[in-house]
Amino acid sequence: MNKFKIEATPERCTGCLICQLVCSEIYTKRFNPSMARIKVDILGVDCLISFTEECNECGVCVDHCLYGALKKIPREKRK
Amino acid sequence: MKKGGFAGRVLYVNLTSGEIKKEPLDLDLAQKFIGGLGMNLRLAFDRIKPGVSAFSPDNPIVLGTGPLVGTSLPATSRVYAVTKLPQSRAIGWCGGGGMTFGCLLKNAGYDHVVIEGCSKRPVFLKIIDDDVEISEASSLWGKGVEDTCTSLWDTFGRHAGVISIGQAGESMVSFSMAFIDRTSTLGRGGFGAVMGSKRLKAIMVKGSKGIQVADRKRYKALSDELLNNIREYPYLKEWQDLGLVKSIPFIPKELYSKIKKRRLACVSCPIGDKDIVEIPDGDLKGLISCSTSVVNLLTPIVYGFKDYREAIKCISILDDYGIDMFEFFGVLGFAKELFDQKIISQDILEEEIRLDSLHSMETWARKICFRDGLGDSLADGFEGIIRDFGKGAKRYAPYIIRGMLPYVGPRGPLVWNLFGTMELGQALDPRGPHVGASGSPTYFAKRPLGQFPRHLIRMGAPKEAISRILPGLDSPKGEQELKIGRLLNYSHNWFCTLGCLGICARAQINRFYSASLCAKLYSAVTGIDTTAEDLMKRSDRVWTLLRMANIREGFTRKDDALPEKWFEEPAFKDYLSGNRVIRQDLDQMIEDYYDERGWDVQTGMPTPRKLKELGLKES
Repeated sequence: MNKFKIEATPERCTGCLICQLVCSEIYTKRFNPSMARIKVDILGVDCLISFTEECNECGVCVDHCLYGALKKIPREKRK
Repeated sequence: MKKGGFAGRVLYVNLTSGEIKKEPLDLDLAQKFIGGLGMNLRLAFDRIKPGVSAFSPDNPIVLGTGPLVGTSLPATSRVYAVTKLPQSRAIGWCGGGGMTFGCLLKNAGYDHVVIEGCSKRPVFLKIIDDDVEISEASSLWGKGVEDTCTSLWDTFGRHAGVISIGQAGESMVSFSMAFIDRTSTLGRGGFGAVMGSKRLKAIMVKGSKGIQVADRKRYKALSDELLNNIREYPYLKEWQDLGLVKSIPFIPKELYSKIKKRRLACVSCPIGDKDIVEIPDGDLKGLISCSTSVVNLLTPIVYGFKDYREAIKCISILDDYGIDMFEFFGVLGFAKELFDQKIISQDILEEEIRLDSLHSMETWARKICFRDGLGDSLADGFEGIIRDFGKGAKRYAPYIIRGMLPYVGPRGPLVWNLFGTMELGQALDPRGPHVGASGSPTYFAKRPLGQFPRHLIRMGAPKEAISRILPGLDSPKGEQELKIGRLLNYSHNWFCTLGCLGICARAQINRFYSASLCAKLYSAVTGIDTTAEDLMKRSDRVWTLLRMANIREGFTRKDDALPEKWFEEPAFKDYLSGNRVIRQDLDQMIEDYYDERGWDVQTGMPTPRKLKELGLKES
């Protein structure tokens, strides 16, 4: 189990999809948003960020998010 | 080493015959023209018959993206189109932040799409990986941009890229635009009307093939360094939070925070500048608008709108019709002046023109889009009005370049009176005026000249050019000079480099890139080892081909002429001295520009020597 969990703050997301790009590249060696383990859906004003069952919370999406929409939360401190 | 970056195919669609072909991308040619904008132009150059009308079925639309698009590199999403444009009648480019479209086109397996012919009935182009179809669009025809996108997203899912026109494009309004994913624009010049002339309502793309880079290790090192530079940029958060509101003071920050619902970014952009806003009160309470920037939404305030809510509603209407707002207000301002001068009579006018009234602007937007009454003349822009109201009307026209309104100038909608590369570029880009600072240091007013060399090197100017652009810079007693014409040459080449690669040209983004970094990224992504000098030479080749394409169309030195009204009071001011810019100054700038490009200073024609150097003789 990873030391952290990923927490999403959809209010901060702009839909830039960099998380999906880097996630897919790590696991498929191709930049392919449709193969990402994180999914961002911007529906009008609303935004939904979800993770597929394959997601192992490696954190590459968090490392690349420049908007603060994704964060690593240490497990021991997580309520 | 394996090749990466490119999707590797070009999609050819003929709307007359219905033929659809997928052909391999000629990688040698793509390498020579970098890709993206450059390759679009090369493909268009081969297929445009000289003298073809913008609305002829034979006028191709060549749409495409660069080799970095679809990767995770910051702000690499640009989509460009090249076609014969109706307003300038030049072969020109339109470009927009690609939102998701560019990335998905690459993922579907295409770098470029070439669309020719004309459909008998309204259609949209459906691209889902290898499944490409010219689909019936009669249910979409007549819809605005918003409803067209929503309808396609309802059918194909929200993860589809959509380029769509509104009713203005359908009616071939000369200043109509196409919208990318409802938000970004392929605008200025009448690109929407070219789509409309082909009865092409939209292009929808979904893709799942993925994009590979050639050298993953090198890519990661370069990408990490670039992202770290962006992270450490002290104004990053402010730009992310405010976008253009940060630099355009007419919008109070308090107002923006009151209406802001979400900021949107094109794929991989770290400084997303698109806006979703909601009106919180008043008669228009609950109106949600999505735009390329909140600054656009509030632009009617510049024309006298008193209520910001009505300004937002007005631009929402124009966006939905797919109209260029600057040209719209410019054309209506001209028509109003002609009414005041009694050249347009009351019975022809039918409805009052008031640039500060939502009701009036909504009425005229509708009349233009459906070519109702006087709206039919106005739909053909300044040219249509002068055509229908005679030469007497012409003297009251605002300054016009290549049939279009330059919107930056002492009497333009955006008051800006220092003469830099963006201002000269409005006259010297064949497509006509647009906002394209191209990373030039003159984008910022009164930047100290000492800072210029650093920017010039970043933009790929060779060291020996610096003393030509900035004579006297190193001489403590010498008078300092700034040669705008010579600087524009490198500004155009830099813009072209970014456009070919697919990087956003906005000043807030391209400041993180340099010619040297671009060459390294191109090498890592494509596997084609390239130096900065090589890359800039290829951009020079692309921009010179654009010139050659338009010389072939009959354009000459006289088409680079500057409007007489630019020299009337209030005039432009010299960037450095603040002195009034006179015609002789600008003529000298144009000659300097030609000279720096290796074009004949009298005719503006690329010299045989230059063409040989660029390997364009056989083009």
